[in-house]
Amino acid sequence: MSVKVDPNVMKDLEAFGLKDAKKCYHCGNCTAICPLSTPENQFPRKFVRYIQLGQKDKILQSPEPWLCYYCGDCSLKCPRGADPGETMMVTRRYLTSLYDWTGFARKFYTSERFEIMAISIVALLVGIGLLVFNTGKPDWQHASLNSLWPKENIELADLGMAAVLSFLLLSNVFRCFRFVMGDLAYKVPFKYYMDQAKELILHTVTQKRFNECTDRKQWLVHLLIMTGYSSVFLLVVVFLRWFQRDQEIYSIWHPVRLVGYYATFAIMYGTTYAIIGRLRKSKPPYKNSHPTDWMFLILLQLTTMTGIFIHFTRLLDWPFATYFLYVIHMMVAIPMLVLEVPFAKWAHLAYRPVVLYLLKVKAQYQQEQPAEASVAVAA
Amino acid sequence: METKLAVYICTGCGIGEALDIEALSKVATKDCKAPICRNHPNLCSQDGVQLIKNDIANEGANVLVIAACSPRVMYDVFAFDDCVVERTNIREQVVWCQKPNDEDTQMMAEDYVRMGAAKAKKTELPEPYKPEQEMSKDILVVGGGLAGLTAALEASKAGYQVVLVEKEAELGGFQKKVAQKVTFPYKELTANDLNQLVQAVESDSGIKVYTGAKVEKISGGPCVFDVSIKQNGSTAEHHMGAIVLAAGWQPYDPANLDGKLGYGASPNVITNVQFEEMFTSGAVVRPSDQTPVKNAAFLQCAGQRDPEYLPYCSSVCCFTALKQAIQIKQQDPDANVFVVYKEMRTPGQGEDFYRKAQQEGIVFVRCQSPEVMVQGSKLTVEADDELSGEKILLADLDLVVLATGMVPATAFGEDFKAVQPKEGEEKEKEDEIKVPADAILVSDILNLEYRQGPELPGLRYGFPDSHYICFPYESRRTGIYAAGCVRRPMGVAGALEDAAGAAMKAIQCVELTTRGASVHPRAGDLSYPEFFMQRCTQCKRCTEECPFGAINEDEKANPLPQPTRCRRCSVCMGACPERIISFKNYSIAMIGDMIKAIEVPEEDEEKPRIVILACENDAYPALDMVGLRRMTYNAWVRVIPLRCLGSLNLVWIADTLSKGIDGVFLLGCRHGDEYQCHFIKGSELSEIRLSKVKETLDRLVLESDRVRFEMLSIADCDRLPALLDEFAARLVEIGPNPYKGY
Repeated sequence: MSVKVDPNVMKDLEAFGLKDAKKCYHCGNCTAICPLSTPENQFPRKFVRYIQLGQKDKILQSPEPWLCYYCGDCSLKCPRGADPGETMMVTRRYLTSLYDWTGFARKFYTSERFEIMAISIVALLVGIGLLVFNTGKPDWQHASLNSLWPKENIELADLGMAAVLSFLLLSNVFRCFRFVMGDLAYKVPFKYYMDQAKELILHTVTQKRFNECTDRKQWLVHLLIMTGYSSVFLLVVVFLRWFQRDQEIYSIWHPVRLVGYYATFAIMYGTTYAIIGRLRKSKPPYKNSHPTDWMFLILLQLTTMTGIFIHFTRLLDWPFATYFLYVIHMMVAIPMLVLEVPFAKWAHLAYRPVVLYLLKVKAQYQQEQPAEASVAVAA
Repeated sequence: METKLAVYICTGCGIGEALDIEALSKVATKDCKAPICRNHPNLCSQDGVQLIKNDIANEGANVLVIAACSPRVMYDVFAFDDCVVERTNIREQVVWCQKPNDEDTQMMAEDYVRMGAAKAKKTELPEPYKPEQEMSKDILVVGGGLAGLTAALEASKAGYQVVLVEKEAELGGFQKKVAQKVTFPYKELTANDLNQLVQAVESDSGIKVYTGAKVEKISGGPCVFDVSIKQNGSTAEHHMGAIVLAAGWQPYDPANLDGKLGYGASPNVITNVQFEEMFTSGAVVRPSDQTPVKNAAFLQCAGQRDPEYLPYCSSVCCFTALKQAIQIKQQDPDANVFVVYKEMRTPGQGEDFYRKAQQEGIVFVRCQSPEVMVQGSKLTVEADDELSGEKILLADLDLVVLATGMVPATAFGEDFKAVQPKEGEEKEKEDEIKVPADAILVSDILNLEYRQGPELPGLRYGFPDSHYICFPYESRRTGIYAAGCVRRPMGVAGALEDAAGAAMKAIQCVELTTRGASVHPRAGDLSYPEFFMQRCTQCKRCTEECPFGAINEDEKANPLPQPTRCRRCSVCMGACPERIISFKNYSIAMIGDMIKAIEVPEEDEEKPRIVILACENDAYPALDMVGLRRMTYNAWVRVIPLRCLGSLNLVWIADTLSKGIDGVFLLGCRHGDEYQCHFIKGSELSEIRLSKVKETLDRLVLESDRVRFEMLSIADCDRLPALLDEFAARLVEIGPNPYKGY
């Protein structure tokens, strides 16, 4: 079957930040240098070709963009300045928008104005919400968040938000699963999905594939941001009743406090490193910054910083400052979660491990399939 | 003139330590009867040279044998006016490649001194050739395109009178069709500034321009060319020095292409030349209905680099396609433009232009064999995309442009051999040596009155090349230099460089020829072949074998040498069965005397002898290099350098073997398609002649293995020692030459 070449896909990808893929003349240095590229899943060279030829179907079915962690070796080695690492990054954005059935992701990635507007509107709604829905009886003697916004209510809101986010994200993950698995989606016995489940968890927790890249620093920074973010997410959504405390200050060795400090340090270190890197364009992954990349880092750092301030104002027992900062904190954190998690950069947190997991499932299936087929014939 | 022989032996560079110099001097004074024999520890020093100069001034020495280093070095130091200088190479080819203080080494050095003296005694000082006619330094340029115009202007700027002949009514050639060009620095398209060049040529008082004209006839040779130029029914005569051929090219006929490229199936399939014409005359549109082009594909190498159509790469089509693709993009940035290529060939800075085209958004597809399908006014190209391994379709195309190649103007016309009137009465003798004929097509460009044909011989694909690596611009006709696309396919930058290069060669030619000297590769050689006509048998061997067509014939088949066309390779000397052709400083007798000067030890001494007849251009330097690298080779060999192995006369082989020398080893350049012979077919001719040597050997009742021919390049020095040992071993097997002692 011949496929039609569609140069418009390339033009479309330019809206997602594609710049240099046209320059590629397919020498293959990028594929040769990439520590993660394998004979079965070759990238980034072959993938750049699909883009140049505008083969949208191929792009949609490809797991390769998620196999790349953007260490930047390929971009450094490229003799043509075609920046293959950035091309992989752009296709991750593109795929995120294709997986998303709401169309929000596409708007987010292709329009900076839309992104800022959306975040501002959600922030405003959160601010208004917090001002309108509260007990109206703040404790002005002591910093006591629960007096104004009881943790039970916040917890309820948290869970509601988590449900909506999960629904959006999981429905997109399901679409990702359909695209990547193709015809095999329901052919593969459930057993294999179960067998490989531990891979899913292992990869999510350790990011161990990233560690195979030459630049270990990137893996570390990525792991810090990921674990910091995840642990604080668990604290505020699942363990809120232990996290949002008023008078009773935990001892310094209390697990909640320790986890909180770790998360704060990890996120602050990771985001500061990334922001400085992006400002200085210090290495290939930091050379091209899409608006969503900035938004991701800024929101994360603002959330953490306001969180730190609240921590101190609470320790110093300054009620007004605590309440005020809390509103700001929520106005930053909630848009980040609501918009970025299902529709933008945060979504990769789900897609990447899922795709890696699906690949393992596929590989196991293909490996054992001929054996089973022959057994069937023999029977 | 009275001659006085003087032998000088240098003892520097290890010679003094490795040889018995006293014994060597005795050879010079006793055997060679040299009245003067001196040695010096450093003959090439000022002091050493002064020693020689004193002898010339005070003793009247005028035949000098210098036994020292290779003649390939210090030639400027050992140059003495009005003296015969013979260089005997006892450094590279004796002490550097043989065991020091060995009996065999000493014998070798002594033989070389004898051989040198024998040759020097026969050598005369050459006198420069002066034709009867007045010699002209004017330069004729045939073709008024970019290369021709530039060559004319360059020659004129250098102070030479130029005559330019253009067949069209206007100057400019193909470039008139080109609005924008791609050239250095290969960043952007540039407007064609051809008109400025045309104006510069037209306003140059040193250039006489004939447009709408053709060269009707050229006779004579360098500096005595008589050229008839026909224009508007009248004929102008010019006496010219040298010729630059810049006759240009024609596009390959697309009608001959494979049907799957779609030419002729739709008006929307055009060639790159048709695109150029369309762009220059206005906008790029779909030919079928004159609507704007939205989607277009360029198919590269249409019939090119394909043995069935045009076997070579025209080298400019990649640039042309990039340029035309960008032109479409500049006309409509939203247009989708594809380039389907076998390989993109944009060497050097040209890579920048390729990158520019990529950045403009042109999509490149690597495919060896695309197919064009026609659906009404739309076209589709199906291609195997090698870079993804998929079969792809380029659909809804308004225009497909085929990159057809360049065919040199010299590649048209009938084969001269076919149209030549057959000499009926003469039957081809069975025994006759068949000389491979030159490929000459009657293309009606130069109309040379040369015995071997009216145009320049083609090397490959009709290009009138001589040897593109060693001798750029040179053709196989002395004084005629090719430039531009007639020489090889090239772009604007190449044509400009070519034009200047060919003009330079033409100037060198007229300057050397007016001094009676040879042109490249024996530049400066003042000798020329002299014919002892009384003994000529009109066998035509010399006229047929001359690689440069330097010898015409009269109606009785007597050779009419044209010395200004001669390159002094002496192929004619080797060809002549009557041995009537000789040079003042190179003759059959001289080489014969050198062979006779070799001392052949008795059979019981077990010292066989091998004569190496070595081409002076490649084999001789290779032998030198063995010495330079201090490798050792067989001590039985005696090397005699030949101008070209094509000057080999079979009598030398008879001389050698009848003297009791055990074997003859001929070292010549590679011949055939990838020939490296400086004189084109010298080594090939010598091997052909050798096929007749069996007769001689049979007469002497000798084994044919005693004569061996080997093709050798200058880089083969490392295999030389083994080659010589192997031959020596074979000679030992055969046994000693029974003629020893006669």
